[in-house]
Amino acid sequence: MAVRVVKVDREGLAKAAGPLSARAIATGLSITARHFFRNLWGWIVGKPTIATVMYPEEDVVKPPAFRGMPVLVEMDNGKERCVACGLCEWACPVDCISITPDETEDAIERYPQVFDIDMGRCMYCGLCEEACPEEAIVMSDRVEIAAFSRAATLWHKDDLLVPVDRLARRLEYVRRGYER
Amino acid sequence: MPDGGAGQKFENPVTITIDGREIVAEQGDMLLQVALDNGIEIPHYCYHPKLSIDGSCRMCQVKTGAPKLAIACNTPVADGMEVDTQSEEVAKARRGVMELLLINHPLDCPICDQAGECYLQDYSYGYGRADARTTSPRRKGVKRHPIGPRVVFDQERCILCRRCVRFTSEISKTNELRVFGIGDHSHIGTAPDAPLDNDYSINTADICPVGALLSSDFHHKRRVWFLEETQTVCPSCSKGCNVKVGMFKNEIQRLVPRRNDEVNETWMCDHGRLHYAFAQDETRLRDAVVRGESSNGTVPVVPLDKALEDAAGRIKSTADEHGAAAVGILGSGALTNEELYQLAAFARAVGTPNVDVPVPTGEADGFLIQAEKVANARGAREMGVVPGDGGKDASGILAGAAAGDIKLLYVVDARSLLAASDAEAVQAALDGGATLILQDANVSELTDKAAVLLPGQVWVEKDGTFTNHEGRVQRIRRAMTPAEGSYCDGGIFTRLSALLAGTDPSAARFDARATLAEIAEKIDGYAGMTFERLGSLGVKLGDAAPAPAPAEPESEEGSAPAEPA
Repeated sequence: MAVRVVKVDREGLAKAAGPLSARAIATGLSITARHFFRNLWGWIVGKPTIATVMYPEEDVVKPPAFRGMPVLVEMDNGKERCVACGLCEWACPVDCISITPDETEDAIERYPQVFDIDMGRCMYCGLCEEACPEEAIVMSDRVEIAAFSRAATLWHKDDLLVPVDRLARRLEYVRRGYER
Repeated sequence: MPDGGAGQKFENPVTITIDGREIVAEQGDMLLQVALDNGIEIPHYCYHPKLSIDGSCRMCQVKTGAPKLAIACNTPVADGMEVDTQSEEVAKARRGVMELLLINHPLDCPICDQAGECYLQDYSYGYGRADARTTSPRRKGVKRHPIGPRVVFDQERCILCRRCVRFTSEISKTNELRVFGIGDHSHIGTAPDAPLDNDYSINTADICPVGALLSSDFHHKRRVWFLEETQTVCPSCSKGCNVKVGMFKNEIQRLVPRRNDEVNETWMCDHGRLHYAFAQDETRLRDAVVRGESSNGTVPVVPLDKALEDAAGRIKSTADEHGAAAVGILGSGALTNEELYQLAAFARAVGTPNVDVPVPTGEADGFLIQAEKVANARGAREMGVVPGDGGKDASGILAGAAAGDIKLLYVVDARSLLAASDAEAVQAALDGGATLILQDANVSELTDKAAVLLPGQVWVEKDGTFTNHEGRVQRIRRAMTPAEGSYCDGGIFTRLSALLAGTDPSAARFDARATLAEIAEKIDGYAGMTFERLGSLGVKLGDAAPAPAPAEPESEEGSAPAEPA
């Protein structure tokens, strides 16, 4: 978003308004009233121009560069893309990731038996995503992760898995950003 | 005689120049080893200081003045030789070798256990090119093939340096591995029905510069860069192979040998390498137990200090009632020298001559595996944990307990006792009605029969020294944090001695360093020994004695030259 700088002649405005500023009050009220009726009309015809998002019923669409909590990419076969190489665990500056690797009979012989992220520690830096050689961990747009207990801030593998098509925008952004 | 860089003397010294630096070396030594000894890095895969020269990887090419580049591993140094390891010509040759080695490499570093200690990775960064120019598909090979019961083979990663082939022909002398096929079809393999199954097979995984041969035990267990490595000594036999213990979150992940030319060169046996689970599995004893008449069926856990008081009380009353000789003490060769010294002091405090260390024995192979299956049997003898005047030895103590002469048995480490004695003798001793005080780190058949059970510690939780079969005193270091509130075996002995003497046991802390100083003063051969003097490679009995040599810093690799794993 480009930033536009507007110079406001505040002294001039104050002088023009006079000692009681009745004119300024009227100007302000007229602006408020104008927006009120415009929005009312827009609401009636079904095209509201109002900027307010009715959270939590509504949610803003976050740009792909947004860094919410890190999640694991779930492939179409329902399994994680992660091979438990441990690079995110190593890259994490706050040690919030812990992985226990194990062996499977699948074509890719290694998988994370345990993949825990302590969201009480995560600082949303995105270094795990940058380190990942498999595009298996990405920053999602998920931010509603408040919990009532410390135990609930520890996210396990099953909770972290997100289907790959829901992460398409971020994956595309990551490929562009890291020139992959 | 001129003095070499590392202080060694040469019989036929020659002076060569490597990258403008003058170096004195022994005539006929290979250029690569001379460079490595002097801290000059020349990349190499197939060369290994303990194996014959192969010259197959071509990575160590340097400019020596000959018309073509020469491989440093197989070029003897000669007087006046001028070597260039840095010029563009050499760099180009290395780039070319790296590119050819990587043509068929699967680049599956994220799932490869070697990642982090891989020479292909290191040299690719150091000397290779960033991109691949080949477009043809990479050759497919056998992956995760169990080439032996303890080794996994990945054919795609292999660079055919033949270190493993030379190892099985020259070191283990079992000749399982061979290169099959020719040219592009060459691959490492075993003959049908002859898997890689010898007592030293996992060493092939150590010397493999890439991830082609891997230890099954460590396979997909932990990334190597998370391991905290501690230099210590293998506890599984009296050879005392120098090892590094790799820890992660206070758990042993693996044991790997470290170089000590006087003991194990760079090898260790598979049994020793895989024998560490006892330190951390569910068989560990953590609680002190005192069984009285009233505690039928339940296991009465008490605080350790309480159990020590109870044990001291029982020892005292037995000695008062039946004489000190009614107490039999069976020590363990798994304890450190310092602990055994305190055990001897404890036996003197009890006043019994019936002290011995039962040493389990097995087969020796003349190379590394020794007959005595505990690390410190020699140390026990040196420290005087032997029957006193008219005292009984281990079998005599068991027979005495069976006959009713021994009223109280103090056993340290029941597993070595059971392995060293025949089961009937132990059973008869238990049936003899003697009170059993057991100090042990692991569950055994005797655990439930102990009147007092004192939880001990294992070697990886201790600081101290071991004396190996040929009298080499070597340092062991704590790698694992022991359970809170537990005492090491030496601490149990010092506290019991204090309780017997009627002094405050909490003041009788065990200090391995101070005990070693006492040993150095009192026991022949140990004079002059301190932790610093022993360094990372150890000192033979008597060698530390006269004028103390300058303190050797505890360096990362010891005084042995840096060497590929």
